[in-house]
Amino acid sequence: MKSENFASERRKTIVYAFIVGCTLLLTFRLFQMQIIQHNTYDEKSADNSIKSIEQIPLRGVLFDRNGEVVVNNIPAYTLRITPAYYDTKLNKILETVLNVEPGYINKILYNNRVFSKYVPIRIKRGVDFKVVSWYEENSEDLPGVDYIVEMQRGYPDGIMGSHMFGYTKEVTPQQLKKDDYYKPGDYVGYSGIEKQYEDYLRGKKGYKFMLVDSKRKEIGKYKNGADDVPSEKGDDLVLSIDADVQRVAEEELKGKRGAAVAIEPKTGEVLALVSAPDYDLNEFSYVTSRDYLQKLYDDPDKPFFNRATMSTKPPGSTFKILASIAALDLGVIDTSTTFYCPGYFTFGRVFKCDGVHGRLNVEHAIEKSCNVFFYNLIYKIGLDRWANYAKRFGFTQETGIDIGEEIPGFIPDSKYYEKLYGTNWPRSIMASLGIGQGEVSVTPVQLAKFAALVANDGQSYTPHIVKGYLENVSKKFIPFKFKKIDVGISKRVFNIVKRGMFLVVNGAGTAAGIRMKEIQIAGKTGTAQNPHGKDHALFIAFAPYKNPKIALAVVVENVGFGATYAAPIAQKMIEAYLLKDKIKKENVVPDLKTKIIGASIAN
Amino acid sequence: MQIDYKLQDKFDFSLWLSAIILICIGLAAIYSSTLNNSAASENFDKQLIWAVISIIVFFVAYSLPVNSFKMISIPSYLLSLFLLAVVVVIGRRVYGAKSWINLGVFGFQPSEFAKIGTILALASFLSRRNTNIESFFDIIMGLIIGFIPVALILMEPDMGTALVFIVLILTMIFWKGISLFGLFVVLSPGFVALSSLFGTYYLFGALIIVLAALFFFKKDIFFSGSILALNIGAGFFTDYVYKALSPHQQRRIQSFIDPSADPLGAGYNAIQAKVAIGSGGLFGKGFLHGNQTQLQFIPEQWTDFIFCVVGEEFGFLGAIIVMVLFLIIFLRIFRIASIAKDEFLSLTLMGILSVFIIHFIINIGMTTGIMPVIGIPLPFVSYGGSSLLVNMFMLGIVGNIYRTRKNFL
Repeated sequence: MKSENFASERRKTIVYAFIVGCTLLLTFRLFQMQIIQHNTYDEKSADNSIKSIEQIPLRGVLFDRNGEVVVNNIPAYTLRITPAYYDTKLNKILETVLNVEPGYINKILYNNRVFSKYVPIRIKRGVDFKVVSWYEENSEDLPGVDYIVEMQRGYPDGIMGSHMFGYTKEVTPQQLKKDDYYKPGDYVGYSGIEKQYEDYLRGKKGYKFMLVDSKRKEIGKYKNGADDVPSEKGDDLVLSIDADVQRVAEEELKGKRGAAVAIEPKTGEVLALVSAPDYDLNEFSYVTSRDYLQKLYDDPDKPFFNRATMSTKPPGSTFKILASIAALDLGVIDTSTTFYCPGYFTFGRVFKCDGVHGRLNVEHAIEKSCNVFFYNLIYKIGLDRWANYAKRFGFTQETGIDIGEEIPGFIPDSKYYEKLYGTNWPRSIMASLGIGQGEVSVTPVQLAKFAALVANDGQSYTPHIVKGYLENVSKKFIPFKFKKIDVGISKRVFNIVKRGMFLVVNGAGTAAGIRMKEIQIAGKTGTAQNPHGKDHALFIAFAPYKNPKIALAVVVENVGFGATYAAPIAQKMIEAYLLKDKIKKENVVPDLKTKIIGASIAN
Repeated sequence: MQIDYKLQDKFDFSLWLSAIILICIGLAAIYSSTLNNSAASENFDKQLIWAVISIIVFFVAYSLPVNSFKMISIPSYLLSLFLLAVVVVIGRRVYGAKSWINLGVFGFQPSEFAKIGTILALASFLSRRNTNIESFFDIIMGLIIGFIPVALILMEPDMGTALVFIVLILTMIFWKGISLFGLFVVLSPGFVALSSLFGTYYLFGALIIVLAALFFFKKDIFFSGSILALNIGAGFFTDYVYKALSPHQQRRIQSFIDPSADPLGAGYNAIQAKVAIGSGGLFGKGFLHGNQTQLQFIPEQWTDFIFCVVGEEFGFLGAIIVMVLFLIIFLRIFRIASIAKDEFLSLTLMGILSVFIIHFIINIGMTTGIMPVIGIPLPFVSYGGSSLLVNMFMLGIVGNIYRTRKNFL
């Protein structure tokens, strides 16, 4: 029996409608995707296959005041592993070659497991060239291993400047949160100038666009690199540092503990800043070895500690200059005022002097560093007026030097003693302050600033190491502006004090040993008493006596007399700065700009 | 008998030419998608050889005596079952399913050939003089003929091809004239089975709908009860089968139900396929210039996802051409099936038509993201020798029936 329904007209209509309907439905779907939503899919398609790779810019180069390159960028090798091609059986041999503890590679691979297996992972930065040549020889047996050349900091001029230049370090999670410029693994200025001027030095990141396949494996350049954005090198900084002075100071302080800071009096430009002992910045160029860090931390001399800005010591006799200025400015003495020195001073108790100086005025008191004169003087000035002068010279606050870490000195006043001993505090305490001993403490950089202010008759600028930067494109020098300092004391006062300081070196003074034929140095020795050991040697100075070009402070810890230990270092630094000009004039010195441009092209 | 000696009257040019153009588009797309894949670089050459062989096969099928198809229906069906059984036992594993028999250079997919055998056998059974599509026994017989290969294919397991067979069986019994109630009896277990994949609540919901429908048809209580029991059995059996499926097939089902569940698995392909087609725009990115295709975003794109290449590189216009060519083929086959006076031939044509259509809908549907990713190729376009060969043979049968359509007048 045949069904009446076989291929009935109704069923034909249903089939026909189904065929046409489905085709139309799919066609509409295609229209929707390819015409209406085209842009959305196009963007997705572009995202899919193009990967942007950050191009880390070169950090800006640091020049000294004469255009010498003191910090630049040098190539370093980084070993990488691409997990997709790598066999963990190679771990053992690689760990041996890299001289790292077993499990090192697995740990890094595990930490990076969230990334695609085709993304190379940095295993070790700054690997030795020997490792690279070993790799080159054996690369066929090392699938998934390669190396790239990255840039690290180099110090071509042979000066360390550890505390001044500072170093860079991998960015911390906190910094990542604060500034979206950084990506994990970036290096960022961690201390010193590298940190303070990070925004200038870091430059602008570039982007390279690569075509990748569905597994994010790179397969070629996108548009042949037409859309790539090259990275822009950071701005080069021009420092006020004089490499020669810095080098001499570093050499002279080698093996000692202490600090030396030299400043150009008229401008506040820092010519040298050394804290000893220092550490090797080359060790910080990339990953610092744990051994080296441990060694630095364990060192009782604390090499990380920036003595130039962070250590406070009694200024010793160098502070007799401050008392002299205060007394002269207040008018409690003049050049004819004399005190008699019998070799001791009595105020409640007996204070000793280094000698029996007889009757002398302020100039000779400075020359001979007579304690008795200044014991008398401090009582004439009065504690709070004296403290006020210390404040005017900036001893109660940070100098504002542009390398970050710094602490202010401490100047006691009557409030301080009242708090400590009540209103009837023993006035005999004051005597020591006149000669810079006791509770008073200052930093080397404060002392250097003081020396500069004295040298330039009370006027200078905030001490600074970076003069300005070279604008990247035009190579134009753009100076930074600094705050002017004026202590508001007449030139007459300074002339008297400076005369005394001149006699210290060129008369029958305490630092006659550093007298020079070519340069007239003016200075003041100091020896800070140290209850824990040998005294600290101090020396402040400026030169030449007429029209000073360099002012400085040198502090050497636990060695003894300032004249013996600190003054010769100051002399060497002055010599390096002032006599260089003479020597260099005979040779043809290329002007600052051409030298800078040449150097930056070389990088 | 009136004989027209004009060639057009003997040879359906629009049908044949549409298929040839589709094969050419397919070859271009295969060339493009394998250009940057060294592992698949031979695919274009292989497909070119298959295309030539297939065209010969078309003409063989075209020129056979038309009554030979009925003659080979039972032997070809039995051979199909034998080959399917062999493949389950010794077949080669490709993409997690055993569906290939290795014959030297070219792999060979019995499930493709089984389409011909099943269509012919079912058409042969349904067109028997004493077959009554209203009889419960005959419906069951028809279903048994159809579902033996389905069961064997599910054992491979190849869900996509099994689905094609189910559709062709339903289409043929529909064309034969099954009543609304008969269709309900056949379809309801499938509906319940599908619902069970979504979870227990859906399964019970579906069973309640079946129960309501049984009240509506008002058949006797014993009959209705058997059908309900059949439905309950189908639902729980599916649940059991789903759990027995290989993980990659479970994932594919899951990724359709919840596409975000497995973004880098089956769902990933679906997303990348959509991006490829959508980014093609009106005119496409140009031949060999589609980055999704050239960057190998979709694995094995030359097989089931070949339409992405067309959509991406030739754009909406290229896709429309493909749609139109398929529509021509469908409507030509439908037209010939409508006018064929022999029931066996008409049913055979509808079986062939249903195979082409379900491949077309599922394939384009999955690449455009409105269907689950069920791995079945796009006829004439996708890479694959067995598939192309069988499709062209089936098209040859269509041409043959067109050629001889007036013989039965």
